[in-house]
Parts: sequence; structure tokens; C-alpha cells
Amino acid sequence: MAGSDVLVIVPALDEEASLPGTLAEIRAAAPAVDVLVVDDGSRDRTFDVARDHGLPVLRHTVNLGVGAALQTGFRFAIEHGYSIGVQLDADGQHDPRFLAALVAPVREGRCDLAIGSRYVAHTSYQAPRMRRLGMWMFSGVVYLAIGHRIADTTSGFRAYGRRVMEVCVHDFPRDFPDAPLLIDLARRGFRWIEVPVEMRARVAGESFYTLSKSLYYPYKNMLASLMVLLRRRERS
Amino acid sequence: MEMLSRAQWVSAVGAVVLAIVVLDLVRRRRLSEEYSLLWVVASVLGAVLGFSTPLLQWITRLLGIRYETSTVFFIGLVFATVLLLYQSVRLSRLGQDHLALTRELAFLRHELERLRRGAPETQEPN
Repeated sequence: MAGSDVLVIVPALDEEASLPGTLAEIRAAAPAVDVLVVDDGSRDRTFDVARDHGLPVLRHTVNLGVGAALQTGFRFAIEHGYSIGVQLDADGQHDPRFLAALVAPVREGRCDLAIGSRYVAHTSYQAPRMRRLGMWMFSGVVYLAIGHRIADTTSGFRAYGRRVMEVCVHDFPRDFPDAPLLIDLARRGFRWIEVPVEMRARVAGESFYTLSKSLYYPYKNMLASLMVLLRRRERS
Repeated sequence: MEMLSRAQWVSAVGAVVLAIVVLDLVRRRRLSEEYSLLWVVASVLGAVLGFSTPLLQWITRLLGIRYETSTVFFIGLVFATVLLLYQSVRLSRLGQDHLALTRELAFLRHELERLRRGAPETQEPN
């Protein structure tokens, strides 16, 4: 690696339109970090776009889910000796200018997981009402489970320390790595910090969250959260 | 021995036909031995209940069911439920295997392209 201990993992599904912009922004905001694109079975030119940027690309032949894509990134990060992995969506929602703020607390050892949060400080982000209801609900679920509040459980903009990645490589939700994951990591004794970030509306492409998923999401994450609590607690 | 009712005949003959079909599928390697087990158990059960009126009556009383035919349906339903649940479990396992293989393929392809280019592992800032 080029001296960087940070790997930005960009899971991408059919993001040929927004990927170049996102990659350019990362380059501009954080020239020193390494970037890995995980193409999660795209049917468009996502893979070629990423490769033309001279970046390493791992391509799932079929779509496995955003969690699985991230997990693939964690494995790459561990195999190549990175100490921090940052999840940053390809769709332009996550502003790479916040990379430094997200990485700093993990690098300084103040936490194992830094969550880019829309709600810690006032931001301009306005989610649709149903989405807000869901976020509020899962914030409550997390609070009941671990006794601490995490304002933005659905944020996909996070920095993971190496020990967290080592756990996640073995056990990680295949889709929606949100509330159950945070509960699981907290119960394993990992420390987290929420870092205020701005999030934008997507630039192009489709969100991972379509209607059928918006119905499945609460069911899956409620059940998975409960199951995390019912499993034996593991210390990491 | 009491006369077999028509429903019993249907169940018994159906079970024998099922057993033949299942065994033939195994013979032609269309069905693995592992998956044939539940089906063979089901057909043997169906045949036994079909041909043995006292056993069917005993089970019917035991379960508090009014008619023997209902018992046959009930057992069929239990079997279908168990089989579907078993297949869901297998499907989940296959999903995990499938994920692991897809990921392995992604890494191998990346490694192959890297070796072909003779490129080093480092990233050049562009």
C-alpha cells in the first residue's frame, strides 16, 4: 500500500453514473487514502469505471447485498494490512470531506467504530417521514438493547477499526448492516463515537431501499436485533 | 381384516407410486440419497396407514380426530410442513455457501488480473 493505513471501501451497485464523481471527491478530499471499489453484481459499467480509475475492484458475479459487499472490503483490508476501513457509498450521499473527521477518533484510539451521524449536530438533511419514523424506532431498539443512544443507526458512513473488521469478516449481516450490527458490536465491548456529518441526496442511480425492502427492513432488523440479544455474549 | 375404505386405497396406492417415483429418481441420479430420505419415510408411512386399518383408527382416536380420512390429510400436512422447513434451512445454508464462493471468485479474479499486469500491490495517487 502507498503508506496509507486507511482503506475507503466503496460498495457499488449499478453506479456507473455517480461513481466517477464520488471517486474524484475522495481523491480531492483525502489524496493519501487508498480506495477499494466492491462491485456488487452491477449490470452496468460500474466495474469498468472503477478499473479505469486505476483502483482495485472486487467484483461479485451476482448481487449479494450491501452488507456482503462491505464484508468483502473488510477481508481485503485485513489481508492488505490496513488498520482502518471506511464505508462510503458510491451514490454521492456521503461527503468525503468528512473522511478525516471520521477516521481521527478511530486512529487516536478513542473508539473502535466511528459513525457518521446526521443527528448529532444540526444538519440540513431532511429524511422522508416514514424513514424518520424508522430511524427513531431503531434508535429506541438500540437504546433498549445496550442502554445507550445511537442517533443515526442507519448511517452507512462509518469508520471501522481493525479489530472490528476482524470480527465483521466472520459475522456480518448480508443486507442492512444497521441496528443489529451496532448492538452486536456494543455487546462485544467495542466503543463507538458518533461524528456529525452532512449527508446529501443521491446524485444518480437507485437507492438500495425500494418499497419491498422498506417493508422487509423493519421486520428483518427487529428480528435480527432480538436474535443478537438471545445469542451468547461474546467479548472481542 | 376389515375392508379398506376408498380413501385408504387412494392413500396406499399413492404411497407405493410415490416410493417408486422417488427410488427411480435416485436411480437416475436426479435426486440425491440425502434428499430422498424424507420422501421414502413419507411413502412408507402412507403405505402403512393405507393398508393397516387398525393402526389408522388407533392414531385417529389418539389425536382426537373424528374421521380416519382427516388423519391421512393431517399427516400429509405435517409431512409437507416438515419438508418445507427443512428445505428453507438448506436454502439458507446454500445461500451462505453461494456468498462464500462468489466472494472467493472476486478475490481470485482480482489476484489474477494483478498477476497478469505484473502490477505491484501499491496504489498510485492519480
